[in-house]
Amino acid sequence: MKLYLMRAGAIALTSAVLTWAQQPANNWVVAGSTGTLPAQMEFATPTGKVGVLFTSGPVEMKDHPFFTPLGSNGRACVTCHQPAYGMSFSADAARELWRRTSGKDPLFAAFDGSNCPDQPQEAEKSHSLLLNRGLIRVPLPVPKNAEFSIEVVSDPAGCNTSATYGLKSATPMVSVYRRPRMAANLKYATTPGQSIVLKLGALADTDPATGRPVSMNIMADAREATLTTQARNAALGHVQAKSITDDQIRRIVDFESQVYVAEISDRTGGNLAEPGGPASLGPKAMADHKTGGLGDNDYDPVFLMFDAWKKPGSTTQDQFRASVARGSDIFMFRQFWLRDATHINSIGLGNPLKRTCATCHNAQMTGQDLSAGWVDLGTNNYPRWTEPPLYSEAQELPVFKVTCKATAQPHPYLGRVIYTTDPGRALISGRCVDVGSIVMQQFRGLSARAPYFANGSAKNLRELVDYYDRRFDMRLAETDKQDLINFLGVL
Amino acid sequence: MKRRAIKRSLILALALVQCTFAQQRSFVACPIVRDTKTVPCFLAEYEGETYYLTIQQDIQAELYPPQLLHEVLVEGTVVAGPRICGGIPLKPVKLSVLPEVSPACNTILPAEPGIEAPPTRRPAGPSTRQAPVIPGGAPPPAGRAPQERLTAPFAEREFKITYDFDSTFLFSRDTRVVSQAATYANAAKAKSVEITAHRGASLLSNGRILTENQAIATQRGERVADILRGLGADPASIKVRVITDVAKPDGVTDPQNRLLTIRVTP
Repeated sequence: MKLYLMRAGAIALTSAVLTWAQQPANNWVVAGSTGTLPAQMEFATPTGKVGVLFTSGPVEMKDHPFFTPLGSNGRACVTCHQPAYGMSFSADAARELWRRTSGKDPLFAAFDGSNCPDQPQEAEKSHSLLLNRGLIRVPLPVPKNAEFSIEVVSDPAGCNTSATYGLKSATPMVSVYRRPRMAANLKYATTPGQSIVLKLGALADTDPATGRPVSMNIMADAREATLTTQARNAALGHVQAKSITDDQIRRIVDFESQVYVAEISDRTGGNLAEPGGPASLGPKAMADHKTGGLGDNDYDPVFLMFDAWKKPGSTTQDQFRASVARGSDIFMFRQFWLRDATHINSIGLGNPLKRTCATCHNAQMTGQDLSAGWVDLGTNNYPRWTEPPLYSEAQELPVFKVTCKATAQPHPYLGRVIYTTDPGRALISGRCVDVGSIVMQQFRGLSARAPYFANGSAKNLRELVDYYDRRFDMRLAETDKQDLINFLGVL
Repeated sequence: MKRRAIKRSLILALALVQCTFAQQRSFVACPIVRDTKTVPCFLAEYEGETYYLTIQQDIQAELYPPQLLHEVLVEGTVVAGPRICGGIPLKPVKLSVLPEVSPACNTILPAEPGIEAPPTRRPAGPSTRQAPVIPGGAPPPAGRAPQERLTAPFAEREFKITYDFDSTFLFSRDTRVVSQAATYANAAKAKSVEITAHRGASLLSNGRILTENQAIATQRGERVADILRGLGADPASIKVRVITDVAKPDGVTDPQNRLLTIRVTP
């Protein structure tokens, strides 16, 4: 048995005795693993431990479709949704896996684990977006009803100009590169939505099985209505399966629907889920709390109350916990000009809006948006994108020029010509107003799954906080930033 | 004697019209944001005067603020009384965010002592359990109105939506109306759901006329028909009438002409 093969028995054994010194990469579950995963696990992260809870009890991996390769590339769902990495994976873990397997693990499958399938797969640089940013290629056609034309401006990764896979190939595709979302806490992300999406003034997508409106909060571009459609399309796409049975899909969805992930301890903050502490922390809190809570208020906030940690104390742990509580207060109450964010300012709230982080990140326990949640924060679109502001040879993402037709409603803050590294929701809706818009992600288990933002541009929480500080001119002091980092780090 | 009375009436009527028109303001301008110690005010300048448009509220509000980076079409009536946030108040007022980006519209003024926003139910931060009392007893937010109980017999009923200029967007206040129409049509097992979508124009105070784009009525009609179908209205009962002829704008009632009606016939 190779070292990197984490068989279930080994997990069961080691998960109980994990120490801070252990490298997270050692906990990589290879597709096809057998044995039993215990119902509760803890894995070391750079700042503490992330907890994973299966509310249905231990999981037998043998022949389970979540853990079994179903297609031609050797991958299973678990390849990109690793328990030790918050049911996603980190770029650090991908690099470690590359080193240990010489790039042979199915994570690096040519289809979407490389910058482009037609590049030399043995070369590390052909997988640079995955190794540097934890990004998976997502090839999407331009919608037939698109209100815009799209052209490639620059293509460092090489796929959008590829003769076989590019925008001018026989089957034209736009390749965008995105982080895998965490396959956990999904009762929150799938809370049924309203029939009419507030942000669109139009109908929500519906569950093809029941006809009922869905949350549209699962994928970065909301293209999957339900976990069922997501599992089917991920199997046929990322896993390159020829087919998948209804029973396999049911088992995958059943499994995903009972996985809860949150930070469970912090090196400085100690046990995060201890009785009497903040009620939102730890995976059990995630499992127990009700869904559909709107937390943009001062009496039942997004991540509940942190008052228990506000008491003064002299120990390092006390001070850390007080910092977390201050971070929660900044998140909930620090006002700033929230401006030029499509689907926030443009839906009747006005531009600018004097509000707080919790205005958009309002869903209790996750920090997603309770409404169907795609927003153009600015990470993808010039000039506020996360790429270097000036020309840089280090630029990694493709750049597209999107030109809106004269009859289209233009992008509300960028007009009719938009330069973007990822058109986001617009590649599904075909609408100009959606260019660059991305569905918000959960805030849980963050320390296990850096980097952040859908394009993996924030290497750590400091870079994430810095982006918001710049983007909204928040003028955060150094202590404010550290408080926010500590707060986000314990969720 | 009779002639004199008629003449006097005519003069009075003319004076009334002139007075009404004199109080009417229709103009396109950049919005100006004025910070205050509570929520920001939205203002606009026209012919050397500053007008108060509205304040920041929330999604349940009946009047939505304009947006920086866009011009706003202001159609309102001057009301007597003290200035609000340094501007002459307009009431009623209709605010339309014009769709194209206008980078020049980018002014945020700092808060100044003595300039205060009117009371609001929703503070600048997260919502609070205790909403402030609004003098004059403003009505409850439209979204929280009690649900109407629908029982037979059902009569013909009409639902109305008015749009922002050159916009097909259905704000929260509008989707509530479409939902009510769908609920009524479903309860009444409507034989006919007739959507009539209009295109409007606006006479500005400077005499210029703004006309909505040619396709807007069609787009409005189709969008609402789509939603009604999605909410369960019988597709066979839905008919869309598109009126592309524009009613002559008068500078007073123009916002009401950017109209869509849903007539539900049991």
